[in-house]
Amino acid sequence: MDVGFSMSNSAPGEEPPFELAKKVIQKFVQRQVFAETKDEMALVLFGTDSTKNPLEQDGQYQNITVHRNLMIPDFELLEEIANQIHPESQQADWLDALVVCMDLLKKQTEGKKYDRLVIVLLTDLCTQASPDELDIIIDNLKTAGITLQFFLPFPAGDDEEGGGDGDRGGSGHPGAGKGLSREQEQGLDMVKHVMLSLDEEDGLDEIYSFRNALEQLCMFKRIERRPTAWPCQLTIGSSLSIRIVGYKAVMDERLKKTWITVDAQTNKRDDVKRETVYCLDDDNETEVQKEDIIQGFRYGSDIVPFSKVDQDQMKYKHDGKCFAVLGFTKQSNIHRHQFIGNQVIKVFAPKDDEHAGVALSALIRALDELNMVAIVRYAYDRRCNPQVGAAFPCIKQHYECLMYIQLPFMEDLSHFTFPSLENKKFVPTEAQLSAVDSLIDSMMLVEKDESGEQKDMLKVHHIPNPAFQRHFQCLHHRAVNPGTPLPPMEPWLKAALERPEVISERCQAPLEEVKRKFPLTAVEKKKQLKTSAQIFGKDTGEPDAKKAKGDEEEEDYNLADIAEGSVTSVGSVDPARDFRTLVKLKSLPFGEVCQQLTHRIEQLLSNKNTHYYMKSITCIQAFREQSVKLGKADLYNSYLQSLKRSIPNRGLEVFWDLLVQDAVTLISKDEVEGSTVSKNEANQFLITDEKKEEVAAPTTEDTGDVDDLLDMM
Amino acid sequence: MAEWNAYYRNEDDEEEQEEGEQSGGEYKVTGRDSLVFLVDASKEMFIKEEDGKPSNFDMTMQVVRSVYTSKITSSYRDLVALVFYGTEQSKNPRNSFKHVYVYHDLDEPGAKRVQEVDELRGSKGAQLAAKTMGSGETSLGDALWCCANLYSDIKLRLSHKRLMIFTCRDDPHEGDSVKDRQGRTKASDLRDTGVIINLMHLMKPGGFDVSLYFRDIITPPEDESDLGLQLEPCAKLEDLQNRVRAKEKKKRVLNRLNLCLGEGINVAVGVYSTAVPARKPPPIKLYRETNEPVRSKTRVFHTQTGSLLLPSELKKAQVYGKKQIVMETDEVDSIKKFEDPGMFLIGFKPMEKLKLHHHVRPAVFLYPEEDDVKGSSCLFSALLKRCSERNMFALCRFTARRNYSPRFVALVPQEEESDEGKGQITPAGFNVIYLPFADDIRTLDAPQLPCASQEQVDKMKQIVTKLRFKYRSDAFENPAIQQHFRNLEALALDMVAPEDIEDLIMPKVDQIDTRLGPLVQEFKDLVYPANYNPETKPAAKRKTADNGGGAEKKPKVELPEDELRAHVQNSTLGKLTVPVLKDACKKFGVRTTGTKKQELIDALIAQLSS
Repeated sequence: MDVGFSMSNSAPGEEPPFELAKKVIQKFVQRQVFAETKDEMALVLFGTDSTKNPLEQDGQYQNITVHRNLMIPDFELLEEIANQIHPESQQADWLDALVVCMDLLKKQTEGKKYDRLVIVLLTDLCTQASPDELDIIIDNLKTAGITLQFFLPFPAGDDEEGGGDGDRGGSGHPGAGKGLSREQEQGLDMVKHVMLSLDEEDGLDEIYSFRNALEQLCMFKRIERRPTAWPCQLTIGSSLSIRIVGYKAVMDERLKKTWITVDAQTNKRDDVKRETVYCLDDDNETEVQKEDIIQGFRYGSDIVPFSKVDQDQMKYKHDGKCFAVLGFTKQSNIHRHQFIGNQVIKVFAPKDDEHAGVALSALIRALDELNMVAIVRYAYDRRCNPQVGAAFPCIKQHYECLMYIQLPFMEDLSHFTFPSLENKKFVPTEAQLSAVDSLIDSMMLVEKDESGEQKDMLKVHHIPNPAFQRHFQCLHHRAVNPGTPLPPMEPWLKAALERPEVISERCQAPLEEVKRKFPLTAVEKKKQLKTSAQIFGKDTGEPDAKKAKGDEEEEDYNLADIAEGSVTSVGSVDPARDFRTLVKLKSLPFGEVCQQLTHRIEQLLSNKNTHYYMKSITCIQAFREQSVKLGKADLYNSYLQSLKRSIPNRGLEVFWDLLVQDAVTLISKDEVEGSTVSKNEANQFLITDEKKEEVAAPTTEDTGDVDDLLDMM
Repeated sequence: MAEWNAYYRNEDDEEEQEEGEQSGGEYKVTGRDSLVFLVDASKEMFIKEEDGKPSNFDMTMQVVRSVYTSKITSSYRDLVALVFYGTEQSKNPRNSFKHVYVYHDLDEPGAKRVQEVDELRGSKGAQLAAKTMGSGETSLGDALWCCANLYSDIKLRLSHKRLMIFTCRDDPHEGDSVKDRQGRTKASDLRDTGVIINLMHLMKPGGFDVSLYFRDIITPPEDESDLGLQLEPCAKLEDLQNRVRAKEKKKRVLNRLNLCLGEGINVAVGVYSTAVPARKPPPIKLYRETNEPVRSKTRVFHTQTGSLLLPSELKKAQVYGKKQIVMETDEVDSIKKFEDPGMFLIGFKPMEKLKLHHHVRPAVFLYPEEDDVKGSSCLFSALLKRCSERNMFALCRFTARRNYSPRFVALVPQEEESDEGKGQITPAGFNVIYLPFADDIRTLDAPQLPCASQEQVDKMKQIVTKLRFKYRSDAFENPAIQQHFRNLEALALDMVAPEDIEDLIMPKVDQIDTRLGPLVQEFKDLVYPANYNPETKPAAKRKTADNGGGAEKKPKVELPEDELRAHVQNSTLGKLTVPVLKDACKKFGVRTTGTKKQELIDALIAQLSS
């Protein structure tokens, strides 16, 4: 990178080339870091005030600094670029810098294997370069197999900025020279000369402008994986085989890394330990040692112990790797929506075997001409279960292959029947259909342009996965700006997921028409989050008159009842009221009354009927209310906790949901001093999430008490 | 090779990770499904066809068995019962009904039950049935009442209740109007409690007249326009099996959401998955002494202090470019969130723009939900019709669940198709095809090879034509899963050896060879030179290396410590191969939990950089 004096010059209101060049490098390094490529990078600055490079000698190669040797880029490099690289006040010959880079590449790649060697030059070409040794340099570049890329503050060709793929190879550069100094023009000519000498055809494609580069670098690199060959033989019967090589061509890609858990204070992974213990499903949750655990499988209602060893011995075995034709069938017998699996494999003949190539080509063309596919048994290797799939012929301009896609097994399919849509009620009218027609017309993404060529406005397979882009954007932000909230989504990413602008403008009127022609009314959903009160509320015609009475008396129960002394125990008709009365009377110990109440609740729950559930809830509410009043939380909390534990076994989930919706939770410290439950825990309590249960574990550690209490009751 | 291996070896792990994100994710189960087979055991059911076809009873038992086993393999928690009516003997919970024989009450199907149904199959089965149950008077009312009791005796929550009547008698009470009325009343009682009653009527000489009696018994079909009665009785086992299978499973919607065409134009749709790879169920951990299942509890605690850590005391991190980047747990979730679940229409494209190889996941199916938004069916139907007629698909952005990132999908129209028996083959609706992103498409270097001549192609065409067959998607069973369940069955039933399975995806080599005859040799003569053998690897390159390089074949790479440290320093560990990394792990006593390359690297870095 040129950091020389002229790089910080800029027209007013424009960013100096130095800043742009720095951004290009930053973006590039970021992409490399997150793509975790094994590419190594070195950074050489020229135009620096000091000189530090292996070639400096006798005043040669001055003002050139090797900032970083060849290694894999990391955040350290990013930080250095951000903080240590500034515009400096010297100038240096870019050809000299090029030689330093070539020397660096040569020395530091010795003994290592490399696919590609690239030197990227970012400069404004403002320094006079001496063309004396240009030809020697070009020769050396050629012999070393080094390719060059130039990034300049201005476009090299006429139409570069236009973004077209048109002809840039023309020798003249009327438009490009605009505003360029004599040095720059000379420099540009030299650059073109170098590039064309290295690659006559596409050499000039490797000259970019900073602006263009920044646009292209704004997204994170797509996930790239080196295709791995899967050599095998395609067989038809016992005696016809063709050597093939398979490659994954399309694959539902996932991020390579998963999140690790670290301690929030120290941010260290080692500080966190995860331990899994096993216990019996009994009241004591008796712990079981890992050695005492064997594996079993469910066979309907039976659980069959089946050790790993036995399983391996008895499991389905096959001969391993294969790509065997079972038969051929019409392509129309294969339904696209029945494709299964998450990949497409392209099958070629090995590149060094032209006989196999011819044989496979015969098969591909035969299938193509007959409109058929091969149904094959595919097994990746001995350890993997075999699949059945279809091999489609695929003939492209430059190559031919088979495309293998997995098809379902009988077990994978579910046949659902749906009511026919040819129903009088739903059949659209002609007017409605024509509204849909004009909507489709206005929203066509593929259109013929003036030259009659089809143009696809939105090729979604050219869009990078937004999940990955967002993921890297956030990681990058957090790494560079720790302590600040995550940024909003990048505007370009948002836009990429939307309708193309042309379409959204064009479809406005047809959409309005559709809206007019098709009345759509959202049906009020009563089902969502109904509380027990809403189901059995007073206003919904409560069938049980006695209970309705109880509801009314929720707070101010009838003193006359007490006066009469008629209540001696918690009865079944209105247990909640009886309970309140008895607590008030204090004729029995609180614990005793509670026991009577919980006994009733259990009776009610055993009926498994929503009406009884409602009654139970009023009891629990009364239990809670009186416990808070008396400042005794323990009995209530213990009961509710044990009740919660028993929910799954007793199939009382519906009841629990009602309880949750009525927010009947534990009594917290905030309400009653003696409670051992914090407010937060009380709130968490109703969530029957496994994770939450783990969290709540410390509070329920004294489970012994609960059990005792239940015994007592 | 490493990558393929890594993928396959970790298939299980990865699948776990992907669980839920797969289009065929888990359903939210709110209760158990239940199914009662109410089977006519009258003499007519046992009449054997002259041409050796199985009797109606035999056919029914085969179907019952196949439902039992399929429930065991796919949804063992469903409850199934088998009840006979019109028997001589009676057996029911309180023995309050005569001529009703509860063979199996409502419970999860198990190995023993399968065996017991097997005993009723074939001519021996008919004898056994005659001995244990016999044929006697018929009272459908009693039978239905008995079934109602079976349902009410269940303490579990039932989400879906279905009753299937198998009979070949269209007038079961032979004109007894009291019994007829009783039957109707009980049927209507059952329907009121949410039980769906289906009729699986079987062949009867002179034809089965549904309108004679059973029309009043069964649940009217969901679709009013079509009477839904499969007016043709089932004559073939296959038909019966298909009919039962179509009804036996409840359609379960993956989720309901809106298909948004534009501001304020929301069509309510349900998403269904019709093809999801069936997997071996996961093993259950059992206590060695008692064989009872154990529960696992996972605790997270601090290594130093030993105290339990709450989620709020944990954060998430990833390492990139030698830097650990830390985020809050809820930030990790928020990164994934783009928008609320739903489908958003982007535009339309002609069908030929849908590329065959743009396949990343199994498709799902879309059907309107009139109950959520009134008018959905009409607009949906109009879109479907026009897309289908104009050979178009709709391109949509699809967010399947909360905190899922969007995917582009193609809505491909599918028209309704029915077979002659009025059974639906394919329903009307859109198939939702997931489309790949740029990341999902790999760049391949296609080899440049010569093409075949027309003569060679023509010869291959002869071969292809000889081996034509009609592919049906339900023709192949998964041998691995079948074997697994046969093994379990054998163990559960104390059988000496598991029943043999037929590997249907094995090529029938002998048949292929005889069919092709001399064609194979003719083709080989056309494409292969005389000395060419495709079975052997062209190991030319390797051989020269072997001859020249000597013992360099599989160099046992021992990595010196300083070199390894240098790799750690320069974060170039990724360049080493998995075996080398494993060796290094062993050498430095690094314990790793995984075998993935990244895990080995992480472990080594953790050990050596500290």
